[in-house]
Amino acid sequence: MKVTIKNWNAIAQWRWDIGKEFDETDDEDLCGICRVAYEGCCPRCKMPGDDCPVLWGECGHVYHMHCIMQWIEQQPPNKQNCPMDRKPWITAERKTANTATQQTQAVQS
Amino acid sequence: MASPGVQALVEAKWQSAFKTLNREEPGISGLLKTSQARQLASDFLRPRALSEPRRKYRADVMANAFRLLYQTKQLHGVLENFLEEMRQQRHLITEDVEAYMHEYEVRPYAFVLVTEVHETADSQIIAQLVHRLVEWFNAWRPTTETDGHPGPLESLGHVAIDSYTDAFQTHIYSVLPPSFSSGFKDLIASTLPVSDPAPPPDRALWDAFHALGLIERYESLISSVCYELVEKHVVETCAGQWSERMLQDLRDWMQNKVLPWMCLPYAPGARTMEEAGASLHGVGPRFDFHVCKTLCDLRTSEIFDIIVDYPDSIDALYDLKECLYRVDQRSNLVQSLRKANKKRLLHPGADTKDILAQYVSTIRSLRIVDPPGVLLYKVADPIRRYLRDRADTIRCIVSSLVGDNENGESLIDDEPPLPYLTKDAEDYSDPHWEPEPIDAGPDFRANKPGDVISTLVSIYDTKDVFVKELQVLLAQRLLAVTDGNYEKERRNIEILKVRFGEQALQVCEVMLRDMTDSRRIDQHVQSQKPSILHPVIISRHFWPSLQSGSFVMPQKLRSIQEEYAREFTAFKPDKRLVWLSHMGSVKLELELQDRTIEAEVTPVAAAIIELFSEKDVWTAGELMAQMQRLDKEHLRKGLNVWVDLGVLKEEGADKYRLLEVAEESSKKEGTVSAPKPKELPAVQTTQQQQAEQMRVFWNYIEGMLTNLGSLPLDRIQNMLKFARGYDRSIEQLGMFMEAARREGLVVVRDGMWRLNK
Repeated sequence: MKVTIKNWNAIAQWRWDIGKEFDETDDEDLCGICRVAYEGCCPRCKMPGDDCPVLWGECGHVYHMHCIMQWIEQQPPNKQNCPMDRKPWITAERKTANTATQQTQAVQS
Repeated sequence: MASPGVQALVEAKWQSAFKTLNREEPGISGLLKTSQARQLASDFLRPRALSEPRRKYRADVMANAFRLLYQTKQLHGVLENFLEEMRQQRHLITEDVEAYMHEYEVRPYAFVLVTEVHETADSQIIAQLVHRLVEWFNAWRPTTETDGHPGPLESLGHVAIDSYTDAFQTHIYSVLPPSFSSGFKDLIASTLPVSDPAPPPDRALWDAFHALGLIERYESLISSVCYELVEKHVVETCAGQWSERMLQDLRDWMQNKVLPWMCLPYAPGARTMEEAGASLHGVGPRFDFHVCKTLCDLRTSEIFDIIVDYPDSIDALYDLKECLYRVDQRSNLVQSLRKANKKRLLHPGADTKDILAQYVSTIRSLRIVDPPGVLLYKVADPIRRYLRDRADTIRCIVSSLVGDNENGESLIDDEPPLPYLTKDAEDYSDPHWEPEPIDAGPDFRANKPGDVISTLVSIYDTKDVFVKELQVLLAQRLLAVTDGNYEKERRNIEILKVRFGEQALQVCEVMLRDMTDSRRIDQHVQSQKPSILHPVIISRHFWPSLQSGSFVMPQKLRSIQEEYAREFTAFKPDKRLVWLSHMGSVKLELELQDRTIEAEVTPVAAAIIELFSEKDVWTAGELMAQMQRLDKEHLRKGLNVWVDLGVLKEEGADKYRLLEVAEESSKKEGTVSAPKPKELPAVQTTQQQQAEQMRVFWNYIEGMLTNLGSLPLDRIQNMLKFARGYDRSIEQLGMFMEAARREGLVVVRDGMWRLNK
């Protein structure tokens, strides 16, 4: 028997790639500032996703972009720290995610 | 002996009496003449049997005699005498009446077979009796009329005739037996203009009625005959006829047929319609009222079915409205409708959908009959209370909101949306302000939101439940759409936004955007690397919880998914895809040795058949092991799809074999096209979601009951309140415990719950 798939309407959810493996039974990952899930949106936004993205810090903490920007603005210039660990906030380049994806791809192939 | 004074007095009296009688005649000749005249008059007036021949009297002699009696003031005595004689002779009439009535009472039995004939025959006897009585009446009448000129007796005024008529009528009324009334009624009924064209009225008969004073005496009887006619006609012509205005027709009928007849009893002398109109002034409105009342009663008894027929029965409702203006039977209508609703609608056998449809029709119908909505308010209360108790009411309302019901029409199409704002205070500067209707209850508010949807939504105190249900429904509908046409859903949401507010439907907005975004992404991905996979990418948290639990797809399918995910991540570098493998649909083609099969199936079924392409025989256990985390139910369903299509065969003990060559029984044409999977996307209903949550709390309850033995419900509730996220009411907990009891997990005795061991 030969099975040929003609068309497949599937359903998927998107997640922010926050550098850790997706886990079926994961607890909600919440933004440390607004306590809303990353995949949700910050209190000022209405649309999740690209309209309300998240930012990764060098320190490994992740916040909604709007939340962390507001936080940074409120701080004096010399004290623009990550609210979690008080290290100076530096927005990370998206390396971790890509390498992670590449690694998983490598494993699969 | 009397004193001389008295003697003188008597003598003077005597003299004067004698003088009156004798007048100026010599001797006693005057006296003799007077007595002769009196004799003559008495003889003339004497009531005798009709059979007895009447003597001829010379008119001038009679006139002289009466004049003489008048002059001697004897007329009064003569009249008294006449009435006395009449009293003695009246047995003649009595006998006559008895004879006729006897015939009438006996007759029916002879004619029992032919009802129609016997009725008219009966009433003919009564008519004969009436004519006979008129004969008696005329024969005995004390009259000296000659050729229409009033004689000397008439010149005395109506005293003589009136007292005679009184005496005569009193007598006949006293001798007429009770059965006469019914006979008379039949007789009147037989004169009704029922046939078309109506026969000319029998004037003689009506004159006779008038002469005997039967009209006045039996007035109520006559009107009841007429009422019955009206009732019969209304029921005959209007019952079940809801698609036309009937009231005007009825009034025309009254005008053209009944009114001419009514002139006979009520306006006997009238020559023209104008004269009759004056006489009928008091009677006409009474009958018009009766027409309205009868129609109103009829429509009230039919109201439930009228509402069922709603848009077609609109004219009947207008009729009813007009009748209700005239006849105050609003409370009857309410009671009748409430009763009908209770009996025919609000019982477990009725579908919630049907109840809602009837409720909506009721709203619209009663809005026609009674625009302020008092009737509706009174009728709706039990329906609303009943609906509130039904579990699936919200779902039904929401699906009718978005046009998900069978006939595909949605409520929001019909009406312009009104803002979901209610005016609480009355606007006193409104020139069209009207007071609340008199029968409005104390908690009736005229300014309630007027349209159907708000009324439905207001069954519940909060609109949140609707939004939640709407979300579930929208999810189901969106996921079922495959051609990318979401316009209808978008439009619905826009309209509902006006009603529920922008904020409440924000979630739906996100869902819609997910759909369009998915399309855009898919277009991009396809342009990079064409794929047969077209996923809908959703934002979790904004969709109702979908059936979770993913199983391991066979390698071939998984690689398709992974390839797509890679392209996606290349397009949106920060995002990853998580597949909900259970959901969606797969269209595939199977090439078997002797046939090809095209089918659209669930991904689970696709995965199963993919596994069968590796090896022909699998057991359920092996399949489960291959796919992991797949629950039995889904596996069974997926297998059954193929068994139904004749691709797989169950060979006992959960063993399945691929049929490369179709078996005889299932072999049909080369290509069997499978029916599309009909079931809606597996979005969990709100009920399922609640049950899911409750399952968590069951662990707590179980622990509690294990440690503490038995507990009353309120203790359990109080303890559960300590648990995080517990927001159930004690009623809900009770329902849950009841469900647990049915499953045999717990038992209850005297309100104490404990585990079933």
